Amino acid sequence: MTRAALTPEMWQPLAANPTALAEGSSPQATRGFWAGVRSRLFRHRSAMAGLVFIIFLVLAAIFGPMVSPYSYFEQNLELSNLPPAYRAYTVDADTEVFVNRSNLSLYRVDDQGGLSALLRPDSRDMINRQSTWQIGDKAVVLDYGQRPPVLTINGEVAQSGGLSINARNPFGTDQLGRDVLVRQMYGARISLLVAAAAVLTNFVIGVIYGGISGLLGGRVDAVMMRFVEIVATIPLTLYVILMMVVLQSGLLSVVLAIGTVYWVDMARVVRGQILTLKGQDYVAAARTMGASTSRILFKHLLPNAFGPILVTLTMLIPSAIFIESFMSFIGLGVTPPQASWGTLTSEAVETLRAYPYQLLFPAVAISLTMLAFNFLGDGLRDALDPRLSS
Amino acid sequence: MNSASRMPLAWLAQRVLMMLVTLLAVITLTFALMHAVPGGPFVSEKMLAPEIEAALNAKFGLDQPVWRQYLSYLWGVVQFDLGPSFKYPGVSVNSMIAEGLAVTAQTGLLAIICVVALGVPMGIVAALNRGRWPDTLAMFVASLGIAVPSYVIATVSLYVFALRLGWTPAFGLDDWRGYILPVFALSGFWMSFVARLTRSSLLETMGQDYIMTARAKGLPAHTVMLRHGLRNSMIPVVTVLGPVVANLLTGSFVIEQIFALPGIGRHFVLSITNRDYTAIMGITIFYAAFLMLMILIVDLLYLWLDPRISYGDRK
Repeated sequence: MTRAALTPEMWQPLAANPTALAEGSSPQATRGFWAGVRSRLFRHRSAMAGLVFIIFLVLAAIFGPMVSPYSYFEQNLELSNLPPAYRAYTVDADTEVFVNRSNLSLYRVDDQGGLSALLRPDSRDMINRQSTWQIGDKAVVLDYGQRPPVLTINGEVAQSGGLSINARNPFGTDQLGRDVLVRQMYGARISLLVAAAAVLTNFVIGVIYGGISGLLGGRVDAVMMRFVEIVATIPLTLYVILMMVVLQSGLLSVVLAIGTVYWVDMARVVRGQILTLKGQDYVAAARTMGASTSRILFKHLLPNAFGPILVTLTMLIPSAIFIESFMSFIGLGVTPPQASWGTLTSEAVETLRAYPYQLLFPAVAISLTMLAFNFLGDGLRDALDPRLSS
Repeated sequence: MNSASRMPLAWLAQRVLMMLVTLLAVITLTFALMHAVPGGPFVSEKMLAPEIEAALNAKFGLDQPVWRQYLSYLWGVVQFDLGPSFKYPGVSVNSMIAEGLAVTAQTGLLAIICVVALGVPMGIVAALNRGRWPDTLAMFVASLGIAVPSYVIATVSLYVFALRLGWTPAFGLDDWRGYILPVFALSGFWMSFVARLTRSSLLETMGQDYIMTARAKGLPAHTVMLRHGLRNSMIPVVTVLGPVVANLLTGSFVIEQIFALPGIGRHFVLSITNRDYTAIMGITIFYAAFLMLMILIVDLLYLWLDPRISYGDRK
């Protein structure tokens, strides 16, 4: 058995030897954990799809309304209730028209393929239920005595062309002639604003409240958790509604209401985490070395509870978004002309019989957003669970 | 051990006391909020003559100091009297609740039955066929059910089944078909949630030692899962039934509006838009009391399901 020779350079302080420091120190190990989480998350296909959608949504919400030629409140009653895609009728070589059979109007298709001009009828025959337009040398007649209304050009029943996209308003227009696409993106802004408010509340109040309660324990914990219990017994929607009654409807009230009560779940999760973590040796070590309570909480305990906090957050964001759209849907949320996905849906319900497609965009937008956050949350939970990494 | 010794009266008393404290907090909070609202209940576009306003204030006790109003309201609540409606003369909040409760309770009860009777079997089927197509299908449907908000389910199904296909009426509860869409929209989320929960809970239970024992005794796999696994995996499912009731209540706000059902949720939303303060307060307090009762019942159910749990010696 040979004894390893201890050479003087082995006794050099590690700072003089950067490679040795990097090999065995703990920051490397922490980075290793998060690198593993990241790679597991990247391999989770539905979580990635959710993440990509959320990024897309954020970009659309920020830049969409800036780029759009329309504003969310600009009305154009002549061009109301236009569809996103339409079938045009060719009148002559350079005129194509679109018939809106629900409000019996005729629109000219412009060169780009957009519906941009309402054509006023040259004569209306209310008794025989006919409107007539003179376009060039042709007489275009819309007979609405029949169901559905029939369009004739010079006495012949007109044949419609293929489906084309409304280039002026790719998502169509609403009942006041506002561009649905820009309203949709504005609605995304509101949803994300609410999400941001929820995140902020949870981090500022929820995490700290739960952290303090868990760390101090004893009587303080009992009192703090009783309070949480009282708040949590009543559904959040009820609080938000009560706050709205006091504060009047509006975006600010929704944000304030969510900000006031939307931290209880997070506080519970953090408290549970802290309770299991605070018995660990490194906390005792930190305390022995004289670390203050707040230092132990913020530097030692909370970073280690970060995984569950993140997962809880991705689960809480969609419910905040849902509450806003729900409130707006029942008429207690944002006020017109502001558009949220909830108000867009309830506006679409008003015209459901005539223009059912108006329901499509807000319904799909809110559903996809909820799905994306749920997928991301599921993926994160799986990625953070070391038992699953095989 | 019988359940009486596991659930000493002290525990029950403590729970009920806690409920009363919470209820008192809710009453105080709603009372304070309603008093913080700018403008009295009789401020409207049509200006009332000052004498009439004074007379109305005197009739409803609004000329009293706030603490007197609070105490008399509290005394009313103790006697199960939630006071008169400010907007509908001669109608009491009690009668508003009683009238709406029948409708809300019917749809709500049917929705809970749907959640349990459809959600649990969906989860069991998924767990039994883990990784195969029934599992994938059930979990896909469940993901959709969790993501799509109830008001979207309600409006889309209203359009498809009532307006397009004409299978169900678009509003009202005149015959049994009128119940289908509201109950479906109301229970969609929790059905999906319970299906997912049942699946994961059942799969986790199946990894326990006593399941292994049952298998080793030669019982067939399905018997083990249904007889031994299911009962224990139902515990998390029972826990969510409390929140389910809460969500069905708030869900009824929007569902009752879409399908024009005269339930409590609709009364509540209407009283908010009408600024009918006593109705808002009364219905909020009713909701809170009802919810806490439900949560207590769920806790008792929980105790009955899992003999290992003991509330008595928790502290």
